[in-house]
Amino acid sequence: MIGFILRRLLIIIPMALLVVSLTWGLIRVAPGNFYSDERSLPPAIEENIKRKYGLDKPWYQQYFLMLGNVTCRTAPDGDTSTTGFRFGLFGTQFKCFDFGDSVKYLGKSVNEIIFTHLPYSATIGFLAYILALILGLIFGNIAALKQNSAWDYGSMTSAMLGLSVPNFVLGPILVIVFSLWLYWLPPARWGGVANIIMPVITLSAIYMAYIARLTRAGMLEVMRSDYIRTARAKGLDEKSVLLRHGIRGGIIPVVSYTGPALAGLLAGTVVVEKVFAIPGLGNIFIQSVLNRDEPLTLGIVAFLSILIMIFNLIVDIAYGFLDPRIRYE
Amino acid sequence: MKNFNISIGQLVLLTAIVALALAGCATQASSRYYGRTAAPQDNVLRYITGSEPESLDPAIPTGQPEARLLMSIYDGLVEYDPRTMQPIPGLAESWQVGQENTEYIFKLRNNGKFSNGDPITAHDFVYSFQRALEPSLAAKNAYLAHYIKYAEEFNSMKSFVKDKNGRFLLKSDLETPAPPAEPVPLSTQPAPPTEQAIAQSEFRKFVDGPTRLTVPSDEKSRNALFEKDPKLKALMAETELVAVVASDLGVEAVDDHTFRIKLKQPAPFLIGLLGHQFFRVVHRGTVEKHGKDWTKPSNIVTSGAFRLKEHRPYDRVVVEKDPNYWDAQMVRLNGIEFYPLEEQTTMLNLYKTGRVDAIYNHTIPAAWVDMIREYKDEYMNHPEVAIEYYTVNVTKPPMNDLRVRQALALAVDRDALAKFRKTTQPLIDFTPEGLFPEYEDIRSKVYDRELKKIGSTLDEWKARKFDPVKARKLLAEAGFPVTGSEGDWSCPSFPVESVELLYNTSENNKSIAEFIQAQYKQNLGITLQLKNQEWKTFLNTRKNLEYNGIARAGWIGDYMDPMSFLKLFYGTNNDSSTGWTNPKFDKLIDDANRAADPKVRFEKMAEAEFMVMQDQPVLPWQTQKTNFIRKPYVKGLYPNPGTLHAWKFVYIETDQAKWDQNVDTIFSTGDAWVTENLNRLIATQPTLVEREKGYMDAKKFGY
Repeated sequence: MIGFILRRLLIIIPMALLVVSLTWGLIRVAPGNFYSDERSLPPAIEENIKRKYGLDKPWYQQYFLMLGNVTCRTAPDGDTSTTGFRFGLFGTQFKCFDFGDSVKYLGKSVNEIIFTHLPYSATIGFLAYILALILGLIFGNIAALKQNSAWDYGSMTSAMLGLSVPNFVLGPILVIVFSLWLYWLPPARWGGVANIIMPVITLSAIYMAYIARLTRAGMLEVMRSDYIRTARAKGLDEKSVLLRHGIRGGIIPVVSYTGPALAGLLAGTVVVEKVFAIPGLGNIFIQSVLNRDEPLTLGIVAFLSILIMIFNLIVDIAYGFLDPRIRYE
Repeated sequence: MKNFNISIGQLVLLTAIVALALAGCATQASSRYYGRTAAPQDNVLRYITGSEPESLDPAIPTGQPEARLLMSIYDGLVEYDPRTMQPIPGLAESWQVGQENTEYIFKLRNNGKFSNGDPITAHDFVYSFQRALEPSLAAKNAYLAHYIKYAEEFNSMKSFVKDKNGRFLLKSDLETPAPPAEPVPLSTQPAPPTEQAIAQSEFRKFVDGPTRLTVPSDEKSRNALFEKDPKLKALMAETELVAVVASDLGVEAVDDHTFRIKLKQPAPFLIGLLGHQFFRVVHRGTVEKHGKDWTKPSNIVTSGAFRLKEHRPYDRVVVEKDPNYWDAQMVRLNGIEFYPLEEQTTMLNLYKTGRVDAIYNHTIPAAWVDMIREYKDEYMNHPEVAIEYYTVNVTKPPMNDLRVRQALALAVDRDALAKFRKTTQPLIDFTPEGLFPEYEDIRSKVYDRELKKIGSTLDEWKARKFDPVKARKLLAEAGFPVTGSEGDWSCPSFPVESVELLYNTSENNKSIAEFIQAQYKQNLGITLQLKNQEWKTFLNTRKNLEYNGIARAGWIGDYMDPMSFLKLFYGTNNDSSTGWTNPKFDKLIDDANRAADPKVRFEKMAEAEFMVMQDQPVLPWQTQKTNFIRKPYVKGLYPNPGTLHAWKFVYIETDQAKWDQNVDTIFSTGDAWVTENLNRLIATQPTLVEREKGYMDAKKFGY
């Protein structure tokens, strides 16, 4: 088990480097740069900017500098940056995960930006997932246990609706009804509890629907399996059968979906953040690409790719606990 | 559960129906105003200013969103007039111009204070200017200050050249045959005759003296320059380089309250430029102590009517009234909350639900304009210092033929375009119409004179708004005959494959491009291909002239002067993205800048504008209008030409009887409080009092 986890953790390093390198390449291929604008800059000013950000160096030097920033490198003399981990070894000062400063938002380090904006995305993402999980499991179980009843059709129809209405449609509909007509909830921006109700519902709809369908399918399969029949045969009441044996097997598909779902919720809140003007990481990420803010884009890409790989690892470990048939050597 | 047979789906549907029914009852409580309209009780204005500020350091950002925000927390030598955006006294009480528009002397107020209570003196301005031009700061706006003597040289890391006798080489040495073999020692130079000049300091002698020669400090670019200029190389023998440093800059604190700027060339528009945030004053101690972290809310020290209270990126920037501000008794708002937002629908939703009080310009989507403009007390639509046009790549056929360019310019019905756009007005020249009345008067005289020379008239010139008959004629003369009849023109010989219409991706640009495409089809029988590119890619393509045909463009003036537009065509490698250049044009602009008399200056500029328009490297379409909305209780916030608001003039009126009505006439409806304060502020500068009187006489701005 520990060997398995170590192996997986080690794989994360080359994977993350690959993702970051590819992203770096794509940014460099894309035309334009962070300082280009409607008015062209006098050459002297452009020189100043290039010198300041090391863009006057050959590309391979820039590439290795970037790799060093994303991983570990020796701290340069007179380094004013304070983010990331730093340590001294053999008399040299090293620093790790210091993604540098944003080139668009002056004086702000990439780490600072990520950790300022992550909580917004994490809050709505987490709440949305909890909501999706609770309602999805309830609806899924009801549908499975009352198969082919009005309850089943009802919940599965709404699940289909939830899956097929994109959140950029659902969000504005909620805004029109609850903000512009009823004046109940604020239409956008961060603030109190009232501000996050609509974003959370909008974001959770699709996950809720998916979880409901997964749960229903999982439960239907499990409840027909031999070990449930055994449980019933040894005289357990229906409640124990369901709670002690049924659910454990029935929600495995839901667990395997949790990894991608959580990562998706963290990184994929972009649309909801745009619709409701929430200062989350997704919003910043898109903006950084449009601004050609290379350090910020790379920082977020590195951060999110590592996060997603760790989520997937956790999910794989959770399998082992939930399903006795799965063992890691 | 058999007897309660209602599905979840039905339940959802039912809820929705109930909600919609309820909603129906709740809508349209009042129809005079758009949505909820109640003046905020805490006297704090909530304003949407556009994208998240790049930085709160006034030297750094280039965008309008930051300009609006930074105006609240930094004060400069001058402030913008809230109605016209012309300069009015800020920290400078008055000023004088001398030495043929190259010397500006400002008398500063003696009660100016930073937010920490430190006094603001001329030394702070010297520091702010020097720092903003520091090459290591790499400020994009630095070009705004390049008119100041040795500013460009300092900003681009140049060096003075000292020969073996210790004499600095002059720029004129390059022009004259050779430098004198025996340098004249400083002491034997003829002393300036006046008493004042004798009292001149060493610095004054240097900065007012003949311009020194500079070369790049960087060896590589220096050698590259020598390659091209052997004469310069010869001159450089046995010399020593002395880097241009901050203290060489043409700015000087004559005493604590007298600040002097020396320019390298006459720039009559300088005062108008100084309201820009780039020139506003920063606190030296704070900048030096905290380095790049100085703008953090815990460190920052500001100089404006408001001070920073809170900054949550992408969410809000909150400023509060600063009791240390020199004119604090005038400031009526307790604070301003700036929201960085760019989604137009989101803004209008917030506005409608009464959660913001005003938003920035160009924010009402075209589809909403008809509905929003019914709210006459709120919708602001006035001309601004911004134009829309298409550039022409004059280096490639068939667009290198003047007649083709003229045909394309004439074949679009600008009135119809304005009607279609709803938030613009037609434009046939390159400077926006209706904003520079003094210039326009002179321009029409110059045009009249120039047109007579070529056997035309001013009326004929004005017909350039739309003249399809002439357009077809010109196209035929160029070798592309247009055949057919009204409604069915065709021009088979026109090489449509080598003329495309390029624009940067946006719904708005697309609809304009389609409109113009349809006009060419209808009036010339030509169908141009549309091509769109993402913004930064588009900029590259256009700048490097990698497009064939025509490309979308827009320009916003940096300062309230036609020069801000005309300079686009100045120089061989200019900013026009057309490939057009003309030394005669450059000469006219140089002459204009040197002219001491503003009338002569405008005349030269009008001649220059005429020259460009005759050659048609651009197809001007529209002057933009402000197109924004604000609650009727927000007063003193005018739809001025750049939507830059001097926040100390803005206030919230709680008495509904005094709210603004019909803001189309806002410039001719007086606001006694604003008038009183404007008159108080300009009283110290005679030229402004005179200008204001001119406005009154011309019945402009009925104050």
